Amino acid sequence: MRYLIIGSSAAGIKAAETLRGLDREASITVLSEENEPPYSRCLLPEYLSGKKSREELTFRAGNFFKDNNIETMLGERAVYVDPAGQEVILESGEAVGYDKLLVATGASSTCPPLPGIDKVGFTGIRNLDDADLILNRCRSGNKAVVIGGGFVGLETAYALNRRGLDVAVVELAPHILALQFDATAAEILANDMKQSGIKIYAGTATRELRPPEGLGRLGSEAENTVVLDDGTELKAHLVLTCTGTKPNVELLVGTGAEINRGIVVNEYMETTVPNIYAAGDACESTDLVSGEKGLTPIWPNAVIQGKTAAYNMAGRPRKVSPLLGLQNAVEFREVPAIAAGLSTSGPQDGLEILTVHQPTRGIYRKIVLEENVIKGMIFVGNIQNAGVIAALIRKQADVSKIKDKLLDYSFNYGYLWPGMVKKELEEMEAEAV
Amino acid sequence: MKEILLDYDKCNGCMACAQACAAEHSESKTIVGAILEGVRPRIFVQSVDGKPFPIICRHCEDAPCVDACMAGAMQKDPETGVVTNEGHAEACVGCWMCIMACPYGAVDRDYRSNTALKCDRCPEREIPACVASCPNNALFYTDVNVYADARRTAEGRRLLAIG
Repeated sequence: MRYLIIGSSAAGIKAAETLRGLDREASITVLSEENEPPYSRCLLPEYLSGKKSREELTFRAGNFFKDNNIETMLGERAVYVDPAGQEVILESGEAVGYDKLLVATGASSTCPPLPGIDKVGFTGIRNLDDADLILNRCRSGNKAVVIGGGFVGLETAYALNRRGLDVAVVELAPHILALQFDATAAEILANDMKQSGIKIYAGTATRELRPPEGLGRLGSEAENTVVLDDGTELKAHLVLTCTGTKPNVELLVGTGAEINRGIVVNEYMETTVPNIYAAGDACESTDLVSGEKGLTPIWPNAVIQGKTAAYNMAGRPRKVSPLLGLQNAVEFREVPAIAAGLSTSGPQDGLEILTVHQPTRGIYRKIVLEENVIKGMIFVGNIQNAGVIAALIRKQADVSKIKDKLLDYSFNYGYLWPGMVKKELEEMEAEAV
Repeated sequence: MKEILLDYDKCNGCMACAQACAAEHSESKTIVGAILEGVRPRIFVQSVDGKPFPIICRHCEDAPCVDACMAGAMQKDPETGVVTNEGHAEACVGCWMCIMACPYGAVDRDYRSNTALKCDRCPEREIPACVASCPNNALFYTDVNVYADARRTAEGRRLLAIG
């Protein structure tokens, strides 16, 4: 059996590792455009800040491929899949055959149509090359503007701030992290970031990007200008754009595979083309809360999808349960925060909202319910037991009996199943039998 | 494979397990030292309507915290079954994905190092500190199969005695 995996990040590596666990003999090949050992994109901010070295970005031991007897084709770009011939054609012209193919090609930064971005140059943060480019630019000056106040933009901003740069963040939405946090939560997190000297311009469009002019072009101190909608001009040696990503689906265009925003897969992670599977940021699967097909672009989901794909590729049918597309945990400076599901909803959406807000302690907790089922959550400041609430979202359990306890700081797993312990031991015994 | 099991009916919330846990994970290996060093316990004695309810990692077979870890720090040892974010080349960065993923709430934050804090089953001890310290026999460290056998035998004896 020949397994070919394209992509060596969360989904691809987990799939390769799982396949090897299931099949000691099979030929497993990981092909990636990037000529690097497996590294975690999520750690790139740690690299930018200087907290981690390049070598410390790996999420599997350095000899992962060798130890698992996995062949690699690194620095190779796949350009075309021939589903009839079961071959992947590389840019070099070489054809690589497969019995089962996993497309775990991830996503790419999107370049927003900002006036002048062609002159200033588009710089996103998605891979090590991006990070190296940014670090190189950091040498020419210490002022940075990050356009986009989502998770990636803010993590990058904070990393550059820790590196000693003067950083401003520009966000089009009324507040930062608008996809996952409401205004109250965002205010706590924004205040925390401002403590470290980061300036935040929210609810502000970027009118224009201007490259250095006249004599300003010369020398190493050349500054770009970011012009905001209200006329404010921000100077920056480094302009970063973190406004979103798009799934890398090109490889399967023309193969007959169904593609929406991402590659469509069923609960077995199969695409609509036989023997081709997809996982991670490149694919689209059923969202747990909305019940609709959508992207689920976060690390834990990619790992679960990669693992599930591997089981099915190896002929051991296993369904992936619907995943929470929107869920994230973060700590920029010192305030931890977790959001999941329909976290930004309010009463206007016809949903029941429970909140506790202690501004002086920097604590905010919110739970969104629909007919006694938790649909979303935000925990800021105190995140203990956030996973218990997140698990209730995943289970879509009726919480009417414990609703008044959900926001208590003392709420814990023990409240979920009274008498659960004995039952659990009995279950364990039953399993042991 | 041995597990830490709990009999909640026997727990009276004395917190000996939490203190022993903190002591074991401190430099000084003493309860006072743990307090002075700011070491937090990894077993959380919480309460359910006033009744004590210790929460501790179950070292899940298919652990969600391991899947969630974007640094590769949280790993399950294939030999011992222990799930921990400590002692690996891949270092925890405190992203809290594991806290979001754990359905039991068995992962907390270590404020000193800003990394995830959870049960490591006391690698230097034969019997984990929490189990060894429990005066009520609420905590025990045993193979689930052995425990199940013992329970069945005890139940059988009880039935025979009655019979």
